[in-house]
Amino acid sequence: MTKTYDLAIVGGGIMGCSTALRLAEDGMKTIVLDQGDLGQGASGVNAGTLSLQIKRVKLMPYALKGHSEWEAMGEAVGFKKTGGFTLAFTEHEAELLYERQALKADAGAPITFVSNNALRAAEQNLSHKVLAASYCPEDGYANSSLTGQYYRIRLKENEVQFREKCNVKLITRNSSGFNLTTSCGTVHATRLLLAAGAWLKPIAADLGVDLPVRARVNTVSVTERMPPLISSIVGHATGLLTMKQKSNGAILIGGGWQGQGVPQDGRGNVTAKTLIPNLSLAQHVLPELSNARVTRSWVGFEANVPDFYPLAGALPGIENAFVLGCVRGGYTIGPYMGRLMGDYILGQEPELPLFDPGREFSEV
Amino acid sequence: MIRLIPNSANQIKRAEEICFKFDDQLIKAHKGETILVALMKNGIHHLRDAPTDGKPRGAFCCMGLCQECVVAVGGKLVESCETIATDGLIVQSLRH
Repeated sequence: MTKTYDLAIVGGGIMGCSTALRLAEDGMKTIVLDQGDLGQGASGVNAGTLSLQIKRVKLMPYALKGHSEWEAMGEAVGFKKTGGFTLAFTEHEAELLYERQALKADAGAPITFVSNNALRAAEQNLSHKVLAASYCPEDGYANSSLTGQYYRIRLKENEVQFREKCNVKLITRNSSGFNLTTSCGTVHATRLLLAAGAWLKPIAADLGVDLPVRARVNTVSVTERMPPLISSIVGHATGLLTMKQKSNGAILIGGGWQGQGVPQDGRGNVTAKTLIPNLSLAQHVLPELSNARVTRSWVGFEANVPDFYPLAGALPGIENAFVLGCVRGGYTIGPYMGRLMGDYILGQEPELPLFDPGREFSEV
Repeated sequence: MIRLIPNSANQIKRAEEICFKFDDQLIKAHKGETILVALMKNGIHHLRDAPTDGKPRGAFCCMGLCQECVVAVGGKLVESCETIATDGLIVQSLRH
């Protein structure tokens, strides 16, 4: 007789794996299925920034909890709490910075505004043209390329089943739950969680549910190893730059500049049109980058819905099916969202409210 | 080991010899060789100092990724494992 799992999770990124780990605490028999390897989508190719300064105000309580989750994961995910500066160079950017960071500070993030002298004392190599700066001591980064390895070990430790390179081809419902036809056989489960990130839309469509999921194509670059230049993570008031120097000297540059491609066609591509302004902005902030060569640039797909809030809850109209994804700042918040999602699936009241995937979406 | 077929090594026809400069040293190479291969054949392994701790570095991956064999050619930084040596080339190490 074929084994029936309590829950099948489609998507082995941060969302899927962290939910599986929460459920394992309560003894639920779960299986995680991923079309590739664990943590190789957005979870594994993002710039690894853990910054409260770039989180949406309404998500701040979740981000604060997310930060503690990463801190607890620690060395295994390359966690570093470095503190972070966000910089403004023009009057307009300074206004933007004051307005946005004040709201985030009200929401509980320990963000303060710092003088130019304090900034220069902390980071000598940043541009001297900075007009205003904010600082958050909680900010830092982790190494996103360790995500898959981390969760693979944790799932094994907790005896959670997972299948990699297992493509879910078809999902059908029957009286006892769900049948998943996959490239590694049929999987039966009484419950289903879709946590497939940028690939959520076609999978939900299998069940006749139209999720308004789109994907951003975020660009990340890494330079060759450089002498120590910055010790904190650095961002820009517009949100168009994130930068950090890893302990080996390489500098990682992000900021959400858009490459090309769609998730259905594979990995996506970097384009010069957006890469050049991304790197120019980085060099404007850290002039020494003019001596650095970029060794690699790549893109990753970040899923979102029109209101840019998460999908976290019951899949509309399908009993015993759930969806988790589209969490803006999902790298930071993901491990905590998975915990909440796990509580919800177990029929327990989550510590913080989830985000109904069946809500009306309005464009922001 | 017993050689079962005749040693043909001396019959290999090398490409014409060229010469380039590495710091203050003249390096002989054969046309078509990379800068790195020519340097290693001449016993030169220390190509740069690590940007972090200043310790000596040289070729590691030999496929253009690790950046440890980077040298300066005409003021431009290039991976010596990926750059073909040409006659009269001026190559500088990144040793401090």
